[in-house]
Amino acid sequence: MAFWIELLISGLVAGLVIGLSALSITLVFGIARFPNAATGDTMTVGAYGALLGHRATNSLLVGGLTGAIAGAIVGFLGYWFIFRKLAQRSNVALLVASIGLAFVLRAILGVSFGHSQQVFQLPLVRPWRIGDVPVHPNDLVLAGACATILAIVFAILHLTPIGRRMRAVADDPALARVSGISPSSVMTVLWLLAGAVSASAGIVAGIKTVVSPEMGWDLLLPAFAAAIVGGIGSPVGAVVAGLLIGVVQEMATPFVGFTYKIALSFLLMLVVLLVRPRGLFGKLEGAR
Amino acid sequence: MKLALRDISVRFGGFKAVDGISLAIEPGTLVGIIGPNGAGKSTLFSMVTGFLPHGEGVVSLGEADISRDTPFGRARRGMVRTFQVPREFAHLTVRENLMAAAPGQSGENLIDLFFRPGKVRNEEDAIRREVEETIDFLKLRAVADVSAGRLSGGQKKLLELGRVLMTKPKLILLDEPFAGVNPVLIEELSGHIRALNQRGIGFVIIEHDLSALSRLVSVLHVMDQGKLLASGAPAEVLARKDVREAYLGGAA
Repeated sequence: MAFWIELLISGLVAGLVIGLSALSITLVFGIARFPNAATGDTMTVGAYGALLGHRATNSLLVGGLTGAIAGAIVGFLGYWFIFRKLAQRSNVALLVASIGLAFVLRAILGVSFGHSQQVFQLPLVRPWRIGDVPVHPNDLVLAGACATILAIVFAILHLTPIGRRMRAVADDPALARVSGISPSSVMTVLWLLAGAVSASAGIVAGIKTVVSPEMGWDLLLPAFAAAIVGGIGSPVGAVVAGLLIGVVQEMATPFVGFTYKIALSFLLMLVVLLVRPRGLFGKLEGAR
Repeated sequence: MKLALRDISVRFGGFKAVDGISLAIEPGTLVGIIGPNGAGKSTLFSMVTGFLPHGEGVVSLGEADISRDTPFGRARRGMVRTFQVPREFAHLTVRENLMAAAPGQSGENLIDLFFRPGKVRNEEDAIRREVEETIDFLKLRAVADVSAGRLSGGQKKLLELGRVLMTKPKLILLDEPFAGVNPVLIEELSGHIRALNQRGIGFVIIEHDLSALSRLVSVLHVMDQGKLLASGAPAEVLARKDVREAYLGGAA
């Protein structure tokens, strides 16, 4: 039993990474209307940012903030120099541009930091034991940080003027424009937010495993799977589906092995697409 | 604010949907545009509001040439439109729909949002008061917290008018406000339009319901095949033979 609970916990932590990155994807898809393939490499930027910040100050909090800010900046620059100029093009053009941005980011990180794996030097902490189950304090800190980030994102979306306008643009971008809603301020906030959220996912992934220029790209596919399972454009769906996929992957490891667990997220995605094409929390798109 | 159109043309490939329209809408007037389907009325609206890429000609609002302004720029200058099929922010509540359209929200700027929360809160309070007034004016109180996508067609028409009002317009372009609306609601909408016009808001209304329209407007423009066929007082215009032929297919 303890074994399974341990798997569940590590599944939830893995799920937070997937859920946060899926949240970033689904926000961009809902508002800027294209699948952003640079999400993975923005995660990597966040992880390296946090690594540097942590090394410089020895504070995980400062490191995390550095990483999140680095991600927000990358998100904004990508919008300002690339996606803004392609806004009137098809979403295929935007997707291809985002793949290009992903490669550029990865190359810059590779040249700057080398390709060897790096780790966060964290003090070893003895896990607490609750019954037979070992609970790592770091996991709780990470979970708390993720919950805070999610709370901030949802508060911005649902409690602030800009969030209201972001949701309006997600519903009907053309109507938003003729209603006097400025696309540039909505997009600026969207990209800052999406960058910071994906960076946070990368930071958690980096702390839990290792940091390398390829890490984000490897995490991109499960993130897309979660965004689709949750219902594309649904922030709540992305997070729930991310947690679901994380847990399913971890719990299945004893049966299918470490190498094949990634396939499960796609199996889950296929089942959801076949049974409930709009995803768990997807909204029905009105015909227009 | 006077809206002036000079030699407006819109082409779709080789087809001229709007062909050299010039007209002036005086400030604070109620003006109707009629014409058979495909006459180019909605296309004209779309170009004037920046919804379509600019074709040919000059659109000016007050003293300013707004031909190259963005749609939201034109909305902020005080000219807004509605759509034939009402559109709404389907997943936002009626109240949020109205709030989203209010101008002057410094809360859409992250710096103000986090570092000047007092200012943002005061603006939000002001917007909220205005929204409540609009909700009362349009009698949408019962559905204020319902997702706009779940409203009936008539309620959506009212919400659309409300959302347009929240932008503090000086000129509203209504695209078939009475289409698919029951007679009681037509009277209600007409009443709202008159009341708003009393406050100085100008209206340009595309409509096929000629009786409701001619009771409302003081000037009627007739479009046919992209061109302006006639302009004048409703009774005069509707009595013209060429208008009856174009619009009513010569049946009268």
